[in-house]
Amino acid sequence: MKRLVAIVEDEPAIRENYAAAFAREGYAVRTYPNRRDAMQAFGARLPDLAVIDISLEDEPEGGFELCRQLRALSAELPIIFLTARDSELDAVSGLRLGADDFLTKDLSLPHLIARVNALFRRLDALRRPDAAAEVIRRGSLTLDAERMQVQWNGQVVLLSLTEFWMVHALARHPGHVRNRQQLMDAANVVLDDNTITSHVKRIRRKFQAIDAKFDALQTVYGMGYRWVE
Amino acid sequence: MSLRLKLLLLGLATLVLPWAGCRYAREMESALRQGEADSLQALSQTIATSLQGRTDLLYREAPPAPDAPAAAQTPTDPEFYRPTPYDLEPLTLPGAPLLDGYADDWPHEASAWTRFEQDEHHRFAILTGVHERMLYVLLEVHDEHPVFDAPGNSLDPGAFGDRVWLGFEDPQGVQQQFFLASTGPGAVTGRRIEIGEYGRHSARLEARIRGAWQPTADGYRIELRVPLSMVGKGFGVLVDDRDARGALPVSYGTLRADDLHTMGHLILAAPELNTYLAQFLQPGLKLSVTTPAGRVLARADALARPTGLGSEAPILARLYRRFVDRPAARSPLESVSAIYDRDHSVQIGQLEVTQTADRWIRLRDRALTHMLNFTLATSAIVVGAILAFAAWLALRLARLRRASESALTRAGLVTSFPETQARDELGDVARSFSTLLARLNEYTGYLRTLAGKLAHEIRTPLTIVRSSLDNLESEQVPPAARAYLERARQGSERLNSILVAMGAATKVEEAISSTERVSFELVPVLAAAVAAYRVGFPERSFSFDTGAASVTLSGAPDLIVQMLDKLIDNAVDFSPPGASIAVRLRLESHAAIIEVDNPGPPLPLHVEGRLFESLWQSRPGGDSRPHFGLGLYIVRLIAQFHGGEAAAYNLPDGAGVRFTVRLAR
Repeated sequence: MKRLVAIVEDEPAIRENYAAAFAREGYAVRTYPNRRDAMQAFGARLPDLAVIDISLEDEPEGGFELCRQLRALSAELPIIFLTARDSELDAVSGLRLGADDFLTKDLSLPHLIARVNALFRRLDALRRPDAAAEVIRRGSLTLDAERMQVQWNGQVVLLSLTEFWMVHALARHPGHVRNRQQLMDAANVVLDDNTITSHVKRIRRKFQAIDAKFDALQTVYGMGYRWVE
Repeated sequence: MSLRLKLLLLGLATLVLPWAGCRYAREMESALRQGEADSLQALSQTIATSLQGRTDLLYREAPPAPDAPAAAQTPTDPEFYRPTPYDLEPLTLPGAPLLDGYADDWPHEASAWTRFEQDEHHRFAILTGVHERMLYVLLEVHDEHPVFDAPGNSLDPGAFGDRVWLGFEDPQGVQQQFFLASTGPGAVTGRRIEIGEYGRHSARLEARIRGAWQPTADGYRIELRVPLSMVGKGFGVLVDDRDARGALPVSYGTLRADDLHTMGHLILAAPELNTYLAQFLQPGLKLSVTTPAGRVLARADALARPTGLGSEAPILARLYRRFVDRPAARSPLESVSAIYDRDHSVQIGQLEVTQTADRWIRLRDRALTHMLNFTLATSAIVVGAILAFAAWLALRLARLRRASESALTRAGLVTSFPETQARDELGDVARSFSTLLARLNEYTGYLRTLAGKLAHEIRTPLTIVRSSLDNLESEQVPPAARAYLERARQGSERLNSILVAMGAATKVEEAISSTERVSFELVPVLAAAVAAYRVGFPERSFSFDTGAASVTLSGAPDLIVQMLDKLIDNAVDFSPPGASIAVRLRLESHAAIIEVDNPGPPLPLHVEGRLFESLWQSRPGGDSRPHFGLGLYIVRLIAQFHGGEAAAYNLPDGAGVRFTVRLAR
């Protein structure tokens, strides 16, 4: 049975382009131009994954509201924000509402598809708890690439997809400096310097919430970042 | 010309006040003088009228008393007032001359002499004077052969030498004759020839007529006195000149030779005239009564007497007077009125009134001094006030200018503008300036956010283009169309990178404003960054001078590195390959200063102060990468975040450019 991807986007051209791309990948696609139509449909049947724009027709913040309602319906449903808005504040708000990723529309379609695929992989992995996992252990860090799950001192650190891929790229080769471009490539995103910096900060903060003394993710000024055991 | 100077000149224009004052003083002086002249004329007319017909008051000799009815009907004899060569005008002598035959104690007035000349050999000069009821006579006779009488009988013609006859009419109207004869120099007494009984002649001495006889170089001199009480009317002398004792004389003089009657008048005022004139006398006035021919009868002089209009003017007034005085104004006023007889037909005399200029000059001076003091003080106050006002105005203008200049250089940060509370035109200017700057500020802000907004708006259509291209690549595209697809993709990528650059400023501002401050060591951060640049830009060499071992700053190391990135980017872009870029850290008391020197072309003059503005750039063209002049703007934002500022200079030898960033410690 085909997985169902819901696209909530008020711009018809973008909506149809995305729908075409997902359909080509073998997904079933439903598109909705606004929150009302989307919620109506979700009430009947939840999609397997939702790609949501923040501003929807007459609601500038409609996407956030939709995300909240959707999260209330399902805790596990992968939600991706895809928006023309790229401000730091929007990203923080979106991720705090439980979105799995926050992407700007600069992202190319293949990159988007790759992310969606990754999210479905994770979903599958999580549903098979006993599956043999590709697990990386670096001191206190346990990184499950299959489930895209990170643990620090045995506690789960909830990372967005981008954040996970960044940590993954760094922790795979501890001590090696990864510059920004390398991190962007690993995370399948195109971001500017400040966005990467804020991603790194957010990652640190999430680890520090578990362990206040966390300093494994170091800045190498002028070059990039590295993971230290 | 500065505003201050202009206003000062304007203030000096008030000096027209004292100038006008001087003009006014002159006008006033003329008016005063005219007024005084009129009143003087009136006075002299009044006095002249009061003297009308008063011959008795005017002339000592005028017999008809005014109250004599007969005289009242007698028409005035005009002949009386007609001058004759025989008239004598006695001087008023200040003292009685000593009767010694010498002229030393007489006034030296050549004009007062009456000269009488028969011919070349027979002439004399006579000077008369009056002092206390005495008539003094000084007679100088030219005589080539002075002959004295022989001593003895003065009636013997054979003993006769030079003789001098005096003749006058006594108060009773009888003609009197006396002769003077001397047997030698010395005292002489008048003698009268009397015809006694039987026709006997005798020469009786008249002791009241006394004098002295002295020979002179060309004749002789007789000085004598006659009591005025003896003299009624007229006075004359006749000289009997004999060349030898007892010879026939040559008689000449002011007496008729045949009967020795007087021919001329003794022009003397009545004694009361002086008293009469004195009652009209005022300080600063001179009154004189003359005969119609102008011979002075009486004179009352108070010209020199102070007029009671205050003492001599103070120094200031004397100074002022220099600007106003005209010499003509100081000359005394004169007014002449004719005195007529009762019938107003014959002029019997003339009154001259003279008044000193002193009176109105003093009046004028007083007014002038007051006025000039007042107007000069006014001018000084006005000029002072204008100077103060100009200084104040200049101060305000300077404040306004400084404010507007700094408002422009500080990227349009209008917080408070001076003078906007002022209610005058300067306040209006300041207000409109403030409004203008505020609008400019809004506009600048709009421009600054425009790029971000624009980027956001363009992103949606761009996404449509790019997602369409992505989809198209998955479709069956003929190979011939692939090239176009590839070009379309390249174009959209470029468009995207432009969008990213356009939104960068806003993103940086957002990022900076949400950055948390931490305390960090600056030196290792810089050292690491420079080390990275060595790897990143192998075509340039980098030097790093730490300047200090440890500098702790509060801020964001990421931002510092980002800032340094921009500076290094800039330095690399503007320096030739192989150039050496120097990074230096210096410490001041409250600041850490990062300097980045790069060799290369100097900054154009006009860019100073604008370098660090948003969306401003000065780059030679031909660079394929999009530049939006954001790099140095980000540098400034980050420097400001760290409580500092950024600046750029040309290196002194023109070898390159130095960027400095000052960070507060």
